[in-house]
Amino acid sequence: MERWEKRIFILAMVFLFAVSTFTVASGQDTIKIGVIGPMQFVQGIGQWNGATMAAEEINAKGGIQVGNKKMKIQLIKADSNEFINPTDATNAMERLITRDKVDFIVGGFRTEAVMPMQDIAMEAKKIFFGVGAAHDELCLRVAKNYNTYKYWFRGSPFNSTFLVRTSFVHLGTVGAILKQSLNLPKIKVAIVAEKAMWADPMIPAAEAVIPKMGMEVVGVWRPSDKATDVTAELSAIQRSEAHIIFTIFSASVGITFARQAGELKIPAMQVGINVEAQKDGFWEATQKMGNYVFTMNTYARNVEQNELTKPFVDTYIKRFGETPAYTADTYAVIVHRLAPAIEKVGSLDADKLVAFIENDVSKGPSGTVAYLKDAEGRHTHDQKWGPGYLTSVGVQWQDGKLVGVWPNKWKATPEAPEITYKGVMPVKIPPWMIEKYKK
Amino acid sequence: MDLFLFYLRKLFTIIKKEVFVLPSRIVVVLFFILLLLLPVFTKDLYLLRIFTLTSIFAILAASWDLLSGFTGQMNFGHALFFGVGAYSAALLNKYAGIPPWGTIPLGALGAVLSGLIIGIPCLRLRGTYLALTTLAFPIILMGIVFALPDLTGGELGISGIARLAGSRVTDYYITVVVMLGLCTIMWKITDSNTGIIFHAIREDELAVRASGINTTRYKLLAFCLSGFFAGISGGLYAHFMRIAGPSTLEVSMSFQVVIWAIFGGIVTIYGPVGAVFILFPLLEFLRFWQELRMLMFAVVVLLILLYMPDGLFRWLRDKIEKECPRCKIRNVAMRHTCRVCTAQLD
Repeated sequence: MERWEKRIFILAMVFLFAVSTFTVASGQDTIKIGVIGPMQFVQGIGQWNGATMAAEEINAKGGIQVGNKKMKIQLIKADSNEFINPTDATNAMERLITRDKVDFIVGGFRTEAVMPMQDIAMEAKKIFFGVGAAHDELCLRVAKNYNTYKYWFRGSPFNSTFLVRTSFVHLGTVGAILKQSLNLPKIKVAIVAEKAMWADPMIPAAEAVIPKMGMEVVGVWRPSDKATDVTAELSAIQRSEAHIIFTIFSASVGITFARQAGELKIPAMQVGINVEAQKDGFWEATQKMGNYVFTMNTYARNVEQNELTKPFVDTYIKRFGETPAYTADTYAVIVHRLAPAIEKVGSLDADKLVAFIENDVSKGPSGTVAYLKDAEGRHTHDQKWGPGYLTSVGVQWQDGKLVGVWPNKWKATPEAPEITYKGVMPVKIPPWMIEKYKK
Repeated sequence: MDLFLFYLRKLFTIIKKEVFVLPSRIVVVLFFILLLLLPVFTKDLYLLRIFTLTSIFAILAASWDLLSGFTGQMNFGHALFFGVGAYSAALLNKYAGIPPWGTIPLGALGAVLSGLIIGIPCLRLRGTYLALTTLAFPIILMGIVFALPDLTGGELGISGIARLAGSRVTDYYITVVVMLGLCTIMWKITDSNTGIIFHAIREDELAVRASGINTTRYKLLAFCLSGFFAGISGGLYAHFMRIAGPSTLEVSMSFQVVIWAIFGGIVTIYGPVGAVFILFPLLEFLRFWQELRMLMFAVVVLLILLYMPDGLFRWLRDKIEKECPRCKIRNVAMRHTCRVCTAQLD
C-alpha cells in the first residue's frame, strides 16, 4: 500500500470511529442512568446486575414513556473503588455527571465515600438513589438541608436503626421458639461481634435491649473480622451455657465461626447478622457445617414478600446464578420507583420528580416503599420499615438450603395483624441442642 | 518606567541564560504555564477536579521526598501528617467556625506538632525499624478517631465542612498556586545549606555529627517541615472534598505516597510531583477499561520501576542532559563541551 493510501485509510478509520462515538453519545432518546459502586466486589456486581436486569426489562417493552415519546435506558457503569480509595469514588461520580451526562444515579456503598459522592450529585441537582449504604446520616442530611439534599433517596437497604431493630426481632422470635420448644426458664444470649467499626455501636445497644426482652446477656466476644480460628471464643460461649449466639458479622469470620460451631456442635442457635450466610456459597464454604445458622436477608428463594418477589428472584437466579443480594435492589429502584415516576410526571426534571417520589408509595420485590418524615414533619427520603412496608426476611440454613423462616405469624405490636410471607418455613433447632436441653 | 524596563530586561536575561539553556528547566516553566492557563482553555469540571486533587497529592508526595528522600528518614506513615492536617482543618472549621484560609495553616501546624511527637521517639531508630514505627502512628490515630466518634465522626468522618472556594475554577487556582509555591519552597530548601545537611545526614550521619552539626535538630526539622507541607495538603483535601474521614489515615494512603515518589524519582522534589501528575490522571484515563484498570496501573508502575529504577524523571533527565565531570553543571545532552567550564562532556 502506498503511503498516501495508508493515510487515507487511517483517516477513514478515525472518521468512522468518531462518527460512531458521536452517534452513541448524542443520542437524545435515551435516559442515562449511572450505576456507581465497587464493581470489583460482590456489592458492586450486585448493583450492576440489578440495573442490567432493569434496563433490559424496560427496554424490551420499548422504554419509558416520557411525555409523548418513549425513551430507552442506557446504563453507564462507574467503578467507585470506594473500599480502597474514597477519592476515586468522588472522581467517578464527577465523571458520571459531567462527562457521561447521566440523568440519574444509583449505587454507592461505603458511607464515608457516599457522603462526598452525595455532595457532588446534589450540587449538580441529580437524583441519586443510594443502594448499599445504610447509615442514617445520609437521610438526616435531607431533613437538615432539604433544598440541597432533596435529590437523595434511600434505595436499599433500610437504615441501620431499622436493621438493628429487625435483628432484635429475629432474636426475640428465636428466643420465644427455644423457650417454648425446650422449656427453658430464661434464655441466655452470647453476643459475638466482629472487630469492626460498624459493629461497635451495636454492642451497647444489644446489651441494653436484650435484658428488656426477658433474656440474659452472658458475655460479649469480639473475634477479628478475618479470624481463621474462633475455638477459644466458642469454648467460652459453651461454658457460659448460652442458648443463643447473637452474631454481628459482615466479613469472613462469619464462615469460620459457623463452621467451627458446627464442628464442635455448640448447643446454641446462631441468630443475627451474618453477611456470609446470606450467600449461596456459604454451605460449601463452611463444609456443610453452617447448618441452622439464622441471618437477616433481603431476598430468599421461594419466599414472596408480594407478587413481585418471585418473578424478580427467579429471573435473577436464572440470569446470574445466585440469589439477589440487597445491592441488586438497583432493579427495584429503576423499575418500580424511577420509571413509574418519570412516566407519571412526564418529564426528566429532577425537581418535579423529587416532589412526586417523596410522596409516592410504590411496591417493589422486597416490599412496599414509602418515604418517611422526621418528628418535625421534614422529609428525610428514608424508607418506612414495618408491617405492610419493608421488613426484610429472616433466613436459616436447613440441610444445605437457605430457607426463609421469618416473618412467620409475626406481630409487630400486640394489636398489629399477624404477618407471614408466602413460602416461609418453621425455624429448625439444631438436634444436638434439643438433645442437650429437652428433658 | 525605566526601573520596570530594567527588571524586564533582567528577567529576559535570566530566562535566556538560566532557563533556555536546559530542557528540564524549559519543561518546568511550560508545566507552570500550562497549569496556570488550563482553566482558560477548559472549564470541564471533571478535568479541573482531577488536576485539583493531583495538585493536592503532589504537595503530599513532595513532602515525603523532603523527609524520606533527602534526609533518609524512611517514613511509611506519611498519612499521619495528611490525616492530622485534614482532621484539624475540619474540626476547626466545624466547631470553631474558622474559614478555610485559617484552618488550613492551623491544621498544618497540627501536623507539625504530630511531626514533633513522632519525630522525638523515632530519632533513636533507623532504616527498617524507623519505617515500621512510623507505619504504626496513623493506625494509632485512627484508633483514637474511632474511640472519639462524637468529636471525630467515627467511621463517617467529619462532613459538611466549608468549601475551599465558591467555584471549581477558584478551587483549582488556589490548589495549583499553593502547590507550585510550596513545591518551589521545598525545592529551595533542598538547595539551601539546610538541604545539604539533610542530604548529608542521609549519606553518612556519623560524619555529619563529627562535623559538629546537631543532626537530631535537623532530623526534627525535617519531620516538622515535611509535616507542615503534608498538613497543608491534608487541609486542602478536607476542604475540597468537604469531608475528613478515616481514609485519610489509611495505610494505603501512606504507601500511595511512597509509590508516587519512587515512580518519579526520590531526592528530586520534582520527581514525586511529576509522578503524581502522571499517575493520578492515568488512573482516571484507565477508566475506559474498568475491569483491568488497577492491574494496568500496577503494570505501568512495575515496568517503570523495572527499567528506570531511579525513577522516571531522573531517567528522562539523564537522557536529555548530562553533567559536566569537572564543574558538575548540567548541560544539554547534545553538547560536547560544558557551557560553563568548556570541559569535554563525552
